[in-house]
Amino acid sequence: MKVIYKIFLPALCTVALLSSCKKEEVTSFTNIQIPSASPIAAGNISGFIKGTFLKGQVYTITSDLTVKKGDTLASQPGTIIIVKNNAQINIMGVLQLLGSKEQPISFNSDSNMPGTWGGFQCDTAQAITIKWTHIDNTGGPDASGSARGTLKVKKAINVDIEDCWFTNGQDDLMAIAKGATVTILRNTINSSGSTDGEAINLKTGVKGVVAYNVIFNQAGSGVKLETSSSVPFPQTEVDVYNNTIVSNGWRRGSAEPGRAVSVGVNAIGHIYNNIIVNNFHGIELFVDGDMAKTTYGNNLFYASVDNYTDQVDSTQKINIRTNFYPASGTGSARVTDLISKKIGDFDPLFVSFDGMVAAPNGYVNKYDFRLQNGSPAYGAGFTKYNQDLGAYTTDAKGNQH
Amino acid sequence: MTNKIFLILTLFFVITFGYAQNIVLKGQVFDAKTKEPLSGAYVHFDDRKGGALTDVYGQYAITVTSSGAYKIKVKYIGYEEFKKELQFTAGKTTVLNISLTQKTESLKTVNVYGKGIIETEISSRRSEKLANNITNVLSAQAMQRSPDINAANALQRISAVTIQRNSGSDEAFAIIRGLEPRYNNTLMNGVKVTSPDPASRFISLSIVPSDLLEKIEVSKTLTPEMEGDAIGGTVNLVFKDAPEFEYFKANASVGYSGIFLNRKFDAFDHGAIQNKSVSEKFGPAYIAGPGNFSRANLDFTKQTAPVTSLLGFTYGRRFLNNKLGFIISDSYQNQYFGTNSQFNIAQLDARPGKNYEPVISDVANRIYSTQQLNNGLSAHLDYKFDDKNKISLDNVYLYTHIAQTRLSIDTSILGGNGGRVGPGTGTVFNDNRSFVQDQYVDNLKLSGKHLLSNHFMFDWAGVYSNAIQNSPDRASISINHLINPDFSSTPNYFNNISRIWQKSGNKDLSTFANLGYKTGIGNDNTIELKAGGLYRHSTRYNNQNAYTLRPAPSASGGKSTYLDIYSANWVVYNVTGTSVSDKANYTAYEDITAGYGEFKLSVKKLEITGGIRFEGTQQGYDTHPVVLDIRSNAKKTYTDVLPGLQFKYKLNEKSNLRVSYFKSISRPALFELVPTPTFGESTDVTGNPEVKHTEAQNFDIRYELFPRNEEQFFIGGFYKNLVNPIEFALSSLSGGQANTSPQNFGNAKVTGAEIVYSKSFGKMGISGNYTYTYSNISTTKIYTSTDASGVSTSVPKLQSRPLQGQTGDVLNISLLYKNDKKKAFIQLAYTYTSKTLALVYPNYGYDYYQQPQSFLAISGEKKLNKHFVFTAKINNLFNTATTIKIGNLVQSKDLYNASLNMGFRYSL
Repeated sequence: MKVIYKIFLPALCTVALLSSCKKEEVTSFTNIQIPSASPIAAGNISGFIKGTFLKGQVYTITSDLTVKKGDTLASQPGTIIIVKNNAQINIMGVLQLLGSKEQPISFNSDSNMPGTWGGFQCDTAQAITIKWTHIDNTGGPDASGSARGTLKVKKAINVDIEDCWFTNGQDDLMAIAKGATVTILRNTINSSGSTDGEAINLKTGVKGVVAYNVIFNQAGSGVKLETSSSVPFPQTEVDVYNNTIVSNGWRRGSAEPGRAVSVGVNAIGHIYNNIIVNNFHGIELFVDGDMAKTTYGNNLFYASVDNYTDQVDSTQKINIRTNFYPASGTGSARVTDLISKKIGDFDPLFVSFDGMVAAPNGYVNKYDFRLQNGSPAYGAGFTKYNQDLGAYTTDAKGNQH
Repeated sequence: MTNKIFLILTLFFVITFGYAQNIVLKGQVFDAKTKEPLSGAYVHFDDRKGGALTDVYGQYAITVTSSGAYKIKVKYIGYEEFKKELQFTAGKTTVLNISLTQKTESLKTVNVYGKGIIETEISSRRSEKLANNITNVLSAQAMQRSPDINAANALQRISAVTIQRNSGSDEAFAIIRGLEPRYNNTLMNGVKVTSPDPASRFISLSIVPSDLLEKIEVSKTLTPEMEGDAIGGTVNLVFKDAPEFEYFKANASVGYSGIFLNRKFDAFDHGAIQNKSVSEKFGPAYIAGPGNFSRANLDFTKQTAPVTSLLGFTYGRRFLNNKLGFIISDSYQNQYFGTNSQFNIAQLDARPGKNYEPVISDVANRIYSTQQLNNGLSAHLDYKFDDKNKISLDNVYLYTHIAQTRLSIDTSILGGNGGRVGPGTGTVFNDNRSFVQDQYVDNLKLSGKHLLSNHFMFDWAGVYSNAIQNSPDRASISINHLINPDFSSTPNYFNNISRIWQKSGNKDLSTFANLGYKTGIGNDNTIELKAGGLYRHSTRYNNQNAYTLRPAPSASGGKSTYLDIYSANWVVYNVTGTSVSDKANYTAYEDITAGYGEFKLSVKKLEITGGIRFEGTQQGYDTHPVVLDIRSNAKKTYTDVLPGLQFKYKLNEKSNLRVSYFKSISRPALFELVPTPTFGESTDVTGNPEVKHTEAQNFDIRYELFPRNEEQFFIGGFYKNLVNPIEFALSSLSGGQANTSPQNFGNAKVTGAEIVYSKSFGKMGISGNYTYTYSNISTTKIYTSTDASGVSTSVPKLQSRPLQGQTGDVLNISLLYKNDKKKAFIQLAYTYTSKTLALVYPNYGYDYYQQPQSFLAISGEKKLNKHFVFTAKINNLFNTATTIKIGNLVQSKDLYNASLNMGFRYSL
């Protein structure tokens, strides 16, 4: 019995040992890729188009591109699109640009100068999805000489814009109206609007979420919510939370100050957990907005200077702190807000930021708006949305740029 | 330049004709029965040159150069000819009073010659009485006696005619029977005139001086021989024809607009207007720089308003045994006028407890200063081969120059980018504009009338009509400042400048011919058969080139402050302009082919006119897009069958009863199909290719009584069923400018009644007319409300309302005092119009209504001697505001004050 025992135990141990070396079953297909149903060949494109931009390919748009109703224009990750001749992309069908973190898609003009192509004109589109895509230098003049918005939608469709970069537009960056449902998450919007234009302008019954975005150096407002004055219902109602909104609203001049977030004309906003630094006005709730239903709190307001001297008219000294909730609006400080009273007080402690207040259109964003350890923004959030403030949070929900 | 030459010419005539007289024959011409003086009768010597027209008091005077026996003749339409032989001795004045007897019967045969002087009121009444259809006629004499400088003012005195005006301008179009100008037709000498105006089909009546006109005919019903595109009616401006005697009249007056007693005229440097745009000068690829744009036309200075001056003359005579005749007429008006206007933007009030009632969101004050120079030159040449054949050549050339400053101050009251907390705070925008426009209309007509036999008549015409409008360098600048809640103000910031070069042209070629056959049936009855056709080819183009100038960014990239135009720094945003890409650079066309057959049967007291007309239409446009667009090119074709039947029953010598039915249409203007905005003075219009032409069934009844000369009484009623009326819907209001678009909202019913009456009591005369019109159309609007459970919704809801532009009550009354001894006239003219729907708005109960208006004008004249008459006119004595309201909310209010004119008239 003992002998049996002596043989059996080592055997058992060996089995146990060997079995711990076992690997999961792996099935792999080598060198077979399912081709796109309607691939678009690399090179010059213009006119009416549908199909798929292929991974890693380079395309040149030579004149206006139009996607007809019922058609889809899709893009695989890593494509590069160069736009010439101030062309624009008209979407009447479906747009699906699916970049990835490792291989983002890029749209830029050949000249790489601000305001040199027409952007995405999607007034009558059927669906818009844009992920991990760079869209730079839009906003050139249209056929009648007016500036063009970068992404315009006027239809009750889903507009899903996530993890994208928008840089150097000339007018409104996103102008979305007429009942669209928006999911605008984790984008970075830099130095857009020449001397006018909002970053995210939502009107006429738009519903949805604007969260974890970084909005830096926009000419007008960061996020503007309104309903149409002639069709006040359905109302625009948007959750605006965990955005980092820095140095916006200066280029339009002090006669039309820009705001980090504004709510007017029967719109409803739910504004929480945003970090609002060096904007002309902070949160402005206009008298004609739906103030009964608008809610806000847990926002951090900071100014890196006591008084900003207007560079055009040096007699204009603007106290940014008194404009966190400007006297021209109806909003007022909430107990849950973090409101800086002086320099250093509630400094959000960005990883890199030199206190820039007003910069030109096309200014290169060299800053890192992640938070250093010890930032007062940590743990100060309205937990319905996030425990932290701003676009970069300790959980995985925040901005990935 | 033109005006100087003109002035010299006028003076020359005045001097030449003013002197040299020795033997004088003078007296009065009057109606034998009524003893009323007859004006416009031609008194002349049968075998010699010279002769005179009686004035409004029936008086005449002729100068004779040598003594001897003369045969005196007097011709007057509707009266028996008067003949008498007289002996004259040198240095003696002979007085001869002449009484004329009315002809009892009108001519039955077709006659081609003998136009006579048909300018007088009596012949107007006769035209009304004899016309196949329901007409109102206004004679030159009636125009001359009332304070009417142009056709627009004159037309206001015709029954059921109102004049639509644009605030800040003198533009005017006729509304007949409460129907918008689009439903009416404007003709010159019976033919259509192309419009220089991009947004409309017709010329503005204000650019036709009333001095040029022999008469204005307004036909409220159509016969098959008339063009079928009139639902309200047709206005025919009949220009003066070659007279059978030497004819010369001249007038000169000066005036001033009362508005400039209280404020200055805002002027700008017209020399800074660049006639050609940058890309026209240097080619389409040229990159425009900041230096390519002038500045002085945006530098507005306050000046004392110059005096308005009006000059005019008409001269005509016949040669070659009266076979060849000509008449030439020129009218020059250089007017300075202004409008003080309030222009507010309204929206639904979404604030708690406000129930979505309209509320003013922006207030703008607009100050217009306008110079308008009109010159109308009309020439007519006719040659009578014999009694049966005549050809005529008519040319009408109209030139209008407008230079206008608009200064606008706009304050946002709610929301926007402002942030207003109370009165006197918020963002204030200054939008200032300079604008120069030249319009040229040329209308050349060659026509002939031939009596082929006693029974057949043939007439034909070929018409070339060309209208050009040129608006170079329309420059607008926008600056703004903010008044903070503590009433401190920011400096002015430079927003942007737009520079637009616009030019459009409209060319018509048309030809038409009619063949008529007339014969008697028995002694009392006649039948007339007519057939004819028309072909018209119209083309239109519009060129537009816009440049946007944006403020050069400051060091911080923001807008710079604005001190004045000379120190403003800008960058050109669209460096090559828009002439290549803009959809506003379109071409459009319209081809009309029409044919008709008509009969007129006179059986004793009954006259029946009827027949059928076919009109085939092809319309289209092309915006020549750089980028393909489904709406960039469109073509419409349609054919209409338009029957008509009219009865005239002669109750007795002095009264008629008329009943009529006809079908007619209204086509959208060429521009109204093109889906791109065209800029107006205060309203921009964006066309709509989907808009359909309007079809209407019209029913009319009228009783006419002509008790005595220059007296009348009409009473009538009408009913119209309109399928697809075209109405203007308001799309947006911003920057002190409205944008509208033509649309069909469904079918409308229009019904109404009218009364016309005029009578004289000794020295006093009264004439008045009143029209009541009711119209109804139901359209879907957006209705916003909150229900009992507190849920608010905006849902479609049907709303019943009047037709756009339709006026309920129109009342015109004029009082006349005429003193034959003192040779003086005074006339008071009063006009009332009730509430009118100005614009259709998409929200329920939210339409824009023009408020009731009363106008009073006074005019007078006194004859000083044989040749000279002193005249004075004051218009708009009440300083009537043009007010547009939404409910009780004032959306706009325009005031332009009274204006005064005084001067002299000279006649041979």
